[in-house]
Amino acid sequence: MIWQQLQSLAGSYPLALRGLGMTVLLSLISLVLGTLLGFALGILRTGGNRLISGLIGAWVDLIRGTPFLVQIFLIFFILPEFGIELDAFTAGIIALTNLAACFICEIVVAGIRSVPTGQVEAALASGLSRWQRMRQVVLPQAMRIVLPPLVGQYVLLIKDSSVVSAIGLTDLTRVGWLVVQRVPNGLLVFFLVGAGYFIVCYPLIMLARRLEQRMGAAHGEVQL
Amino acid sequence: MKIARLFIAGRLFIAGLALAGLTAAASAGTLDDITKRGELRVAVQTQGPPFSLVGANGERTGSSVELAELMAKEMGVKITFLDFDWDGLIPALLSGKADLLVADMTPTLARGMKVAFTTPYMYTGSTVFTKADSKFKTTEDCKAKGTKIAVLLGATGEKEAKNAFPDADIKSYKGGGPLLLDAVNNGQADCGVNDVSAVKGQSTAYPAGTFTIMPDLLSKEPLAFATRYDEPDLLIWMNLFLNQVTIDGRLQKNLDYWVNSDAWKKDH
Amino acid sequence: MLENFSFRTIVEYLPLFGQGLVTTVWLSALSFVGALIVGIVLCAMNLQRGWLFRAPAKAYIDAVRATPLLAQLYFLYFGLPRLGFVLPELVVGILALSLNSGAYIAEIIRAGILSIPRGQVEASVASGMTYVQRMRLVVLPQAFKVTIPPLLGQAIVLVKDSALLSLISVSELTRAGQLLASDRFMPAEGFLTIAAFYLLLYYGLKGLAGLSSRWLGTAGART
Repeated sequence: MIWQQLQSLAGSYPLALRGLGMTVLLSLISLVLGTLLGFALGILRTGGNRLISGLIGAWVDLIRGTPFLVQIFLIFFILPEFGIELDAFTAGIIALTNLAACFICEIVVAGIRSVPTGQVEAALASGLSRWQRMRQVVLPQAMRIVLPPLVGQYVLLIKDSSVVSAIGLTDLTRVGWLVVQRVPNGLLVFFLVGAGYFIVCYPLIMLARRLEQRMGAAHGEVQL
Repeated sequence: MKIARLFIAGRLFIAGLALAGLTAAASAGTLDDITKRGELRVAVQTQGPPFSLVGANGERTGSSVELAELMAKEMGVKITFLDFDWDGLIPALLSGKADLLVADMTPTLARGMKVAFTTPYMYTGSTVFTKADSKFKTTEDCKAKGTKIAVLLGATGEKEAKNAFPDADIKSYKGGGPLLLDAVNNGQADCGVNDVSAVKGQSTAYPAGTFTIMPDLLSKEPLAFATRYDEPDLLIWMNLFLNQVTIDGRLQKNLDYWVNSDAWKKDH
Repeated sequence: MLENFSFRTIVEYLPLFGQGLVTTVWLSALSFVGALIVGIVLCAMNLQRGWLFRAPAKAYIDAVRATPLLAQLYFLYFGLPRLGFVLPELVVGILALSLNSGAYIAEIIRAGILSIPRGQVEASVASGMTYVQRMRLVVLPQAFKVTIPPLLGQAIVLVKDSALLSLISVSELTRAGQLLASDRFMPAEGFLTIAAFYLLLYYGLKGLAGLSSRWLGTAGART
């Protein structure tokens, strides 16, 4: 029984590779775009303008507070009613980028706010411009707070990308669902799907550890 | 009062959206569109054999899939399958991403309020299955209080199980019929209820004699394809198609291969 | 789908949505408490000097973070019975959510603790504070303030992740929406309604997080 299932699974590897490819591609594009957008939103949000800050805050709340499935539905199925017709891949990228940006925005905001105000004031007093202040004083320190949850967020987003199967993209999770129709062993099939995600996510987690160690040299060493 | 006013505001907003959408809807007939496009867009749900499955190399096949391919061939256009999971299937049809919907779907009257079903092209029904070596030997056995019964979320079998087994503990799973078999095989559920053709087709993935499939059906259910009410020309054509393939025997041939036997097993 | 949007049908299904909402709330609340416990234990293990505690904690955190909840859920649901543990769906669901979120929370707490400058810890050692005093008065109040926003984020993720339990036949909020979609073919009504309810939960959580950081803020000022 299990041999027969394993054989059948082995035959499905081209499909699995295609699914893995789709997951990687979607995640890669939307994480890069989402990081850029997320940092921009985070910096704007902590900037002085109340209106901009409020608008971004409301948007972030809306996206963080609703299921991703619903967001992707709105983009793919409802936007056409307003004349915006997107193919599934583009819709998936837009939805994922937006989601990533909103979560990253919050992380960046928390990081920026963790920098003591005295430092910003000192930078102000020493005549640094707004941009210099951000780049040379605030961000480097904020990064220490930002980095660990940021990479954690990446990993979450890679896994969230599985929701795109609702709009017809065949990603790794979807392949799992397709294969389980022929090889009816949920445990085995989704163990393999899990292994696929592990291959993608684990290097990222290792990278985060490295970065964290390098940046946290002056900090930490708090032993319990 | 406040809620009522909110509702009115919501309705007005949505009416406005509808007006904006109207211009897009006013176009030539769907059949003309399909001909011009050279492509028939079919939404499918890959719920497992024998209706719709994906082979080892990723090729899509199954009884409904082949019928859809036949449709496109008769139209003289190429076919594009849009493979959505259950959540995306209905939105795909309603939003116009797909011209029609081909799945093992029961045309209930409630659903018919939203989409246009063709005349049924086959009849099936929900059946009960159990693990062969369990103490549940008959449909009657599954009626015992507290029996765990696995059904598919949202499928018609879910409702029938509730009626037929009022004292049982109904568990609704997502993800397709094979997972019901898996749940029963693993002991998470004592009995399963699903479409008889699906149960027969999907149990072939297990060694013969793993399951007892009850001979009696809980219900008789038609299966039909679906399209939208704003595509009356396509609906008429689909009915004509089903009529035609019934008369010339191609429908029977399809069903004999996929549904009434497991002849497909050796090719896929 | 929007032009025929039927509020009336949503009202008809409201009791079902209500039941789902209640299930989602208590299920998530229990899981979050479980996740906090798992997270604190893991984090404590992870901050030890010896590898004996550190290595297994790290391995667990990495394995959980690198794999999808779906795979973990199936692992518990279909895997545990093979080891002889047949647990009810709800228990498996809460267990899966706790074990999953716990790994993320462990990292969040660790980041919070590590964010405290070493100088402060050294200063508190120099001023003769005991280990417990150091933790209680210096490290934890500051760590909590940094930790609350990401903890809120994780709580939200957990609430939304609980929708996955509909796979193992737990009927929660998302399932109510799916029923509306499959019984009546009204996906827009079903999914937009659950989105509204999740948003409600989100604002509730956010309010709670705000309250607790204000409370901790004053606690911090006291030190």
